[in-house]
Amino acid sequence: MLRTTVRKQRGSLAASSVINRLFVGSAVIGTTLLAVSLTALATGPVAIPPADVLSVALEWLGIGDSSASDTQRAVIENIRIPRTLLAIAVGAGLGVAGVTMQGLFRNPLADPGIIGVSAGGALGAVIAIAAGLAATSTLFLPLFAFIGASLATVTVFTVGIAAGGRVSMASLLLAGVAVSSLFGAITSAIIILTSDLEAQREMVFWLAGGLEDARWNSVRIVLPIVLAGTVVLIAFARDLNLLLVGEDEARSLGVRVGFVRGLLMSVAALVTGTAVAFSGTIAFVGLVVPHSIRLLIGPDHRALVPLSALGGGLFLLVADTLARNVASPIEIRVGIITALAGAPFFLFLLIKQRRQTELL
Amino acid sequence: MSTTAEPSIDQASDSLKESVLEAHGAVVRFSGKTVLNGIDARVSPGEIVGIVGPNGSGKTTLLRAMASLVRLDSGSITLNDSPIDRLSATERARHVGYMPQLNPDHSFTALEFVLMGRYPHIGRFKLEGRSDIQFAESAMNRTETLEFAHRRLRSLSGGEKQRVSLARLLAQNADVLLLDEPTASLDLQHQLLTMATARAEADRGVAVAVVLHDLSLASRHCDRLMLLNEGEVVAEGDPWTVVTQANLKSIFSVDAAVEPEPISGRPMVSVLGVTGDSETQSRDRSLRVHMICGAGSGRDLMHRLSIEGHTLSACVLGQGDADRDTALRLGIDHISSPPFSVVTLEQDAAHRRLVRQADVVIVCEMAVGPGNLRNLEAAAEASRLLLIERPEDSQWDYTDGYAGKVYEELSVTGTTVARSEIVAAVADAT
Repeated sequence: MLRTTVRKQRGSLAASSVINRLFVGSAVIGTTLLAVSLTALATGPVAIPPADVLSVALEWLGIGDSSASDTQRAVIENIRIPRTLLAIAVGAGLGVAGVTMQGLFRNPLADPGIIGVSAGGALGAVIAIAAGLAATSTLFLPLFAFIGASLATVTVFTVGIAAGGRVSMASLLLAGVAVSSLFGAITSAIIILTSDLEAQREMVFWLAGGLEDARWNSVRIVLPIVLAGTVVLIAFARDLNLLLVGEDEARSLGVRVGFVRGLLMSVAALVTGTAVAFSGTIAFVGLVVPHSIRLLIGPDHRALVPLSALGGGLFLLVADTLARNVASPIEIRVGIITALAGAPFFLFLLIKQRRQTELL
Repeated sequence: MSTTAEPSIDQASDSLKESVLEAHGAVVRFSGKTVLNGIDARVSPGEIVGIVGPNGSGKTTLLRAMASLVRLDSGSITLNDSPIDRLSATERARHVGYMPQLNPDHSFTALEFVLMGRYPHIGRFKLEGRSDIQFAESAMNRTETLEFAHRRLRSLSGGEKQRVSLARLLAQNADVLLLDEPTASLDLQHQLLTMATARAEADRGVAVAVVLHDLSLASRHCDRLMLLNEGEVVAEGDPWTVVTQANLKSIFSVDAAVEPEPISGRPMVSVLGVTGDSETQSRDRSLRVHMICGAGSGRDLMHRLSIEGHTLSACVLGQGDADRDTALRLGIDHISSPPFSVVTLEQDAAHRRLVRQADVVIVCEMAVGPGNLRNLEAAAEASRLLLIERPEDSQWDYTDGYAGKVYEELSVTGTTVARSEIVAAVADAT
């Protein structure tokens, strides 16, 4: 469709295309994200008129004064803003972790939830709580989750990798199933064996993800880590492009393959681990979001990575807002919503793959 | 780590720095098996070096070693006399470009892929600028891939992918290009285009090394060849010193004729068979075989019979005659005469001596006129005469029927044999 323009414009088209896609994509997703955020802040057991939400939010940002009541204000500031931010941060983290793993493994089905990275993160988090470390410092939780997630990533990658750096579909999924089951079993065992009921209640949380415990404390850890991780991943987006093209091309175009692969895997594991530590295992975000965006803008990671962050944030915020409100006052866990949306998508990808339509 | 942007635009357009890439005593082992056994190789600005050899001889590994894609077990790779691992990966990528044998297969568009060749020239947080686009466009123009600039790589044919891959390499604007079988998927037209592109790069001072399995193609387009076998360089030099019947036999295990390619005059290989195939191979009965031929009618048999180990001689052959060129090349004893001249009595006497010395005399299907009639007549002195069957209605006698009568007489004493049977017939003559 752009063929006719390439000669006339002498390529200015191509130069701007990454920027264009990124710009248009960010504008569309960003606007939607803002609108959904306002909705999320306004809805819940205590309904607050959107005008009040806006005024509180603006006041919170230092603009104007709000006429909202103290209760409304407290609900918005202490419960809904942190929860909204956490949903966005966790979704963004899972989105970029997913797109990174798909590029690194050169495999379209790589998703932190499916291949066991989230299970690893959950195990790490549970160990931190069971050992009593989580109570001593808030940093232990993400640290242990990171270690668990890394362990799972390395295991799956080592088991699944074939010649040329491509991880075959079957070996990836099988390794993922094995790792998930193993880590899940250990997690369950630890939970059952824990005598402390409060800790037990806390740990059950990791078996199906949810954001209901979102507080500012969590946001303050998750948001910076996800942001920093996303920046690193964007900085290495073109290396990811080259790795997707082929190891030889990457190397001969100046990518230090071993270093970059190690770095990106660590960042993906860190981001996943951190997200999991505060939200439990929420599957399919890292699968649905990057693929949908890839379908729209193509495989260039320089646009794909940042848009997967925004898209992941949007997707999880929508899912969480639904989770909070569809069966109000009962709250459905957000992991259930993402699974309801994601599992059919996953099957759709499998069918597409079977028809020999390569996805990356 | 990366260049600042300012110089890159001008630098990009004409920044070729002439570089020499060398391997010194390169040793590579893969799980205990030695793939490269101490190879010295060098590729210099302005030349195309062809790396040839049978399967598994280490061609690709040598190229990959020079591209720093394979770790050496010993030895070193240097760029302009300094070890290449002193350069950062990005710096190296600005000097040395590599085109893998495997065609790219992914969902980036051709243009996006070609632009990746510019990555080593662009800072990490920058996007392609105008000069990068120009590089890509010119590279795609040269490889005739511009028309599918916006198609996904995966949707292209093998040959199209290979040309896009070459465009990607050109866009990289490196001063050393390493190409692994760049013509493997290409039709004749694009083989030529690719090799001409490599030549154009060499002409502007780029050093080019190319792995090719087609020896004739390599001979035709390379300035220098390196013949590899079992991880070692067994021959090196201009095409005529590398592509020889002896090397083809000892390294490639084929019996082949090497003749000049008509247009370029470079060696062209015609494979006649696999060494060891022939029934006569085991016998060490070598005969003196004399060929009465002309105008190319005896060329093929000269190659075949000399491969069989027979000692050959030939009749009076005029300068410029294709058979004479082959006789000269193979060192076959013959009597030389000026072009299109009539065989003199003196030449005839010398020729008859050769005929009498021979164990077997073969008369080929050349046309006979007054000039070479004496060549045919001399066949009568043969102790054992083989006449190659002539097609029924062929017009070959330009002596008003005289040669035909001579031929009839010869066929009484001689045996008429089909051309395809002649090598066996000679063997049976022992």
